[in-house]
Amino acid sequence: MKISLREQYWNLSILGLVIILTVWRSNQLPVFGSYEIKTIILGIIPIALLAMGQSLIIIGGGINLAIGAEAILINCITAKYSEGSDFALSLRWALIGIVISVIVGAITGWIISQSGIADIVVTLATSFVLIGFALFIQPGPGGGVNLDFAKYFMGGEDSYIAPLLVLFLPILLIWLPLQRSRLGISFYAIGSSKDAAFLSGVNVARTRVSLYAVGGLFAGLCGVSLTAITQAASPFAVISNTATLNSVAAAVLGGVALAGGVGDLFGPALASLVLYYIPTIMLGYGIDPAYSQIIQGALTILVVLVGGLLRARGKR
Amino acid sequence: MKLKINRSIIALWIILALTFLVTGLVDSYFFSIPSIGITLQLAAPLGLLAAGQTIVMLTGGIDLSLAMIATGAAYIVSVKSESGLFISLAYALIFCVVVGAVNGIAVGVFGVNPLIMTLSMSAILIGVFTVGVSTFLRGSSRMPDLLITASSGLILDPITWPLIIWIIVGGFVHFSLTRTGFGRVIYAIGDNAKAARLAGVKVWQVQIAAYVSCAILGGMAGIMLGGQSGAVAISLANSYLLPSVAAVVIGGTSIMGGMGSYSGSVMGALILSVLSYLLATLNSSEAFKQLVYGGIVLALAWVYSSISERK
Repeated sequence: MKISLREQYWNLSILGLVIILTVWRSNQLPVFGSYEIKTIILGIIPIALLAMGQSLIIIGGGINLAIGAEAILINCITAKYSEGSDFALSLRWALIGIVISVIVGAITGWIISQSGIADIVVTLATSFVLIGFALFIQPGPGGGVNLDFAKYFMGGEDSYIAPLLVLFLPILLIWLPLQRSRLGISFYAIGSSKDAAFLSGVNVARTRVSLYAVGGLFAGLCGVSLTAITQAASPFAVISNTATLNSVAAAVLGGVALAGGVGDLFGPALASLVLYYIPTIMLGYGIDPAYSQIIQGALTILVVLVGGLLRARGKR
Repeated sequence: MKLKINRSIIALWIILALTFLVTGLVDSYFFSIPSIGITLQLAAPLGLLAAGQTIVMLTGGIDLSLAMIATGAAYIVSVKSESGLFISLAYALIFCVVVGAVNGIAVGVFGVNPLIMTLSMSAILIGVFTVGVSTFLRGSSRMPDLLITASSGLILDPITWPLIIWIIVGGFVHFSLTRTGFGRVIYAIGDNAKAARLAGVKVWQVQIAAYVSCAILGGMAGIMLGGQSGAVAISLANSYLLPSVAAVVIGGTSIMGGMGSYSGSVMGALILSVLSYLLATLNSSEAFKQLVYGGIVLALAWVYSSISERK
């Protein structure tokens, strides 16, 4: 109970930071209306969805360094086959993409639990395989999507309702029921101690496969939202690596403990706003966006450091 | 224990021999002395990166900033080479020591998770060098001739200067890990940091030393890669990050630390180098290469872990 209270403090301080940054950003813009809010939400949707997937996997005691590649693969698949298609076909490919992503996630989890190789090594290797597949499907930047389909993500001219739903529906429809379900609880269980979970009757191997599959579900949603928002795909390792790094940073900023078993998905979703604001605000001042990468890296280290110190203090 | 080590090393030799044979069957030119020389020459920087990664992974850590450290060191040497070779090398050395020390202090003193620390460090370095290219590190990124010779010069087929450097540096790493007190405490803290601390080892000092030596080895590898390509781009060593980890894992070093050896990593580096020669001769698309490379790395790691687990 005490721990959860501290988590709330953490989320509240992130919320405070988000509010400060929002005010800062809104002062940079001549008008701050619904169109600007929509732009911000569209900017964070991919980061937030990927961060949620990564956070879930970290909560379950793993880490997926291929999650960015997974999203880029789905981005490439959906953008390639939805180009110039009608609404129904775009929707069908979006669903196929998400299913593929879940399968990819499940295979990753299966390899990890069957081989006994560390998560880092397996996912570092699968990130190469997935980018290879993405390059196969979409050798260079390109692709497209049905515009009516994209509208369900982008919303109308000034309305930010649709993007807001895209952002919150996964939390409401996937995470909240999951967190209360047997499966969700066993994610936390294998995250805090595999042995203890095993001894209390959790099938660790199967849970891990589900863990990575649900992570893949979020990565797939991220890939589809990328297709809908950018209406294109670019199969580059640089993009997927940055996306993976962002997802880990958002998870850490959002109060998910790297040791596993602690955290939820609200914090990381909030934290992805911080990651979105840093480069955007700097760009607003005309500063080279490369600096934002430095700040983001430093911020991640700082957060892990402070988090570690707090935990060490709490133990004493 | 003895039996297990022998089994693993035999398995590695068999895998190396198999990849060697398959490559030779696909491309008959591979069995010639010059192409073996080239393969060994290209294996040398990977071998040095794997040396750094081995040291860190033996302590139970990992260095995902290694590729950026390598690129950074090469970039500094090439841009600063106008002010003299030794001065430019000194700059690169300072860079490696500083980055390694920051990694080591964060991990050893502040207990930051090594994965996050080095991943973030990598992001920071990418940012610093992207900015640096147009500001404080502006200039020609051509490598000095002496370093080009040292990274690709032929002595006597198939022996090249980088191979000699790899043998000397690698031999030193192997000696340090197996025969010195430093090596012993590296294994000790990787096996059980708490026990090592109670036995009087200053764990944080060892960790700083490990990350600094890793960074220096990475810098050497980067300079060698830069010398082999002639000029340095900001993405120079990017593609070597997975191989550096993979060589160590295939070579039997546990990612949890405390178990493994540099000789295993050398075998891993050789296997991966022959493999990339094979993929290069297949004349296939980049997509196919990435796919096969990732797949084979995974398969090798799996085969290896199942062989060594059984006994």
